[in-house]
Amino acid sequence: MTHAGGTGVKGWALVLGLLVAAVVVTLAWGVRPVSPGDLWRAFTAPDPGNPADVAILSIRLPRLAAGLVAGAALGMAGSVMQALTRNPLADPGLLGVNAGAAFAVVLGALLLGRADGGLITALAFPGAAAASLAVFVLGGGLSGDAGPIRLTLAGAALNALLLSGVSAVVLMRGEALEVFRFWMAGSLASAIERPVAMMALVVLAGALLALAAAPRLELLSLGDTLARGLGTRPGRVQALSLVAVTLLVGAAVSVAGPIAFLGLMVPPLARRIAGHSLRRELVASAGLGAALLLLADTAGRLIFAPGEIRAGVMTALLGGPVFIWIARRLKPGAQA
Amino acid sequence: MKGALFLGGLILVAIAASLIIGDVPLGPGALWQGLWGGDGPGALTIRIIRGPRVAVALGAGAVLGLSGAIFQSLLRNPLAAPDIMGFTSGAGLAVLAAVTAGLALPLPIVAAAGGLAAALLVAALAYRPGQATPAVTLVLVGLGVGFTTAAFGTFLMTRLPSSEAAEAQRWLSGSLAARDWGQAAQVWAIGAGLVAALALQIRALDLLAFGNDLAAGLGLRVEPARWSLAATGVLLAATGVAVAGPVPFVALMAAPLGARLTGARSLGGRLAAAAAAGACVTLVADLAARAAIPGLVLPIGVMTGPLGAPYLLWRLSREMEKGEL
Repeated sequence: MTHAGGTGVKGWALVLGLLVAAVVVTLAWGVRPVSPGDLWRAFTAPDPGNPADVAILSIRLPRLAAGLVAGAALGMAGSVMQALTRNPLADPGLLGVNAGAAFAVVLGALLLGRADGGLITALAFPGAAAASLAVFVLGGGLSGDAGPIRLTLAGAALNALLLSGVSAVVLMRGEALEVFRFWMAGSLASAIERPVAMMALVVLAGALLALAAAPRLELLSLGDTLARGLGTRPGRVQALSLVAVTLLVGAAVSVAGPIAFLGLMVPPLARRIAGHSLRRELVASAGLGAALLLLADTAGRLIFAPGEIRAGVMTALLGGPVFIWIARRLKPGAQA
Repeated sequence: MKGALFLGGLILVAIAASLIIGDVPLGPGALWQGLWGGDGPGALTIRIIRGPRVAVALGAGAVLGLSGAIFQSLLRNPLAAPDIMGFTSGAGLAVLAAVTAGLALPLPIVAAAGGLAAALLVAALAYRPGQATPAVTLVLVGLGVGFTTAAFGTFLMTRLPSSEAAEAQRWLSGSLAARDWGQAAQVWAIGAGLVAALALQIRALDLLAFGNDLAAGLGLRVEPARWSLAATGVLLAATGVAVAGPVPFVALMAAPLGARLTGARSLGGRLAAAAAAGACVTLVADLAARAAIPGLVLPIGVMTGPLGAPYLLWRLSREMEKGEL
């Protein structure tokens, strides 16, 4: 296996290369392709009368920012959840955390009688917190024996429950289907209406918390008794991790809606690059998550241009097969 | 026996309530006239609008319940159900694809093809040479196939014009809106045929419940019997999906609920109880979806989700205590 150093350098170059490529592709490719020269000019000397400049600055740039924020957040959240639950099938989308955040937002919009504006998106955080706690408890996290199969099924059930809640609430409001589609499968399309800058700060806070908790989370994976013997308090580490997941997922959902499977696909790749250090894995997950979400979004825009496939649908189309691949390799009754 | 009467009574009450309750609430008089061919606006509402809807709900619920009971018995796992394992979403996706492409094919056949394709895909993907496939692997792989087909469904929806997309979304979450007697006849006739086919295989299903080795020892040709039962189960599920959409959780809940309510012990009794419980759950969920919020008709799947997901969670905690997962 790849350990720190050696192939590690190549791995990091890959992450960086993918990220840069994703950024360039997001800005340059679209219904209206622009040349590198146009890109440069749009940033250095923007002309409000030039449609290409407008497309770049007011449509693709917010999209890029939203993709970076949400992708990095979901990648890291996936890594934390997989480490916390010792479950390779853990993903904030599959285990209902995304759906919890989305449900809280649409419920808030229904009760307060307003469209999903700035303040209401803040409800994503309590929603994500409640759902991640529920999954942790349902999956047997308190007794410390959350097997992957059990946790995955508990998450799928919670996810189904919350998503039918979302669709009930949205259908109740009888508003445009577009709103419904946003909260059922995420998208970067309406990025300019979303609180991207504020959520970037929240993701930063979540990331710092996750990085701080990472070494102790690794100790926890050796088993509770051993971790305790080494001076770690498992309850505290788990609580810290859940707070980090809540901040990351809540921010991602506020910016991009519920996007599934990113947190499932990214951590295994990041692990190969980072070796066995969870801190490095988190950094790699952030880069890969952002790159993957941006590439998925751009591909979704291009396949049926001028129509577009939502980023959340693209990640699900990619992630379903990955899920099956991981599920096949699990042994029944496995705890690892 | 008492339990069976209770379940039967429950279904009759649900039928009566479904016929009376609606946008225009009707009295017992209108119900009486509607049932026995009298006239008047209330009677027509019952015969033309609510009657077929109730008949479709009962038929679709019964076939879904039977399908769940077959898989749960065949794989000896209470979590094995056509909706958890992605078969119903495969059937649903096929119907949505046919409608999107404007193909004029009979929907039950399209649904059956989609369900069978999904089932074969799950079996193939879960297969590991030289090893028996554990039921949990089938369930997990099925879950993954379900996720992927659901994403394809959402993808197809984005290709539809907005108004049709709204309709497709309703259909994909399972809907019984605007059903007619033709669809009712369809699900009942095909369902009856499949029940007859199941009746011929009931001994095989009973033997397989003892495990493959014992069944083979008792003279059963295990592999053909398993495939034939699985095909029957998939076709039953597809029949339900063709008229009602991929209603979630009915197939999962029906068999244990039926067994609990009726106390049936024999395999035949449990299958009948599963069909009855599936019909009952579907009818009650549809009624709740229509009547819970005045002036608003929700798709039935929005109701079976909140019913079924807690059941699945409870079931999981039970399995955990027994240490079977």
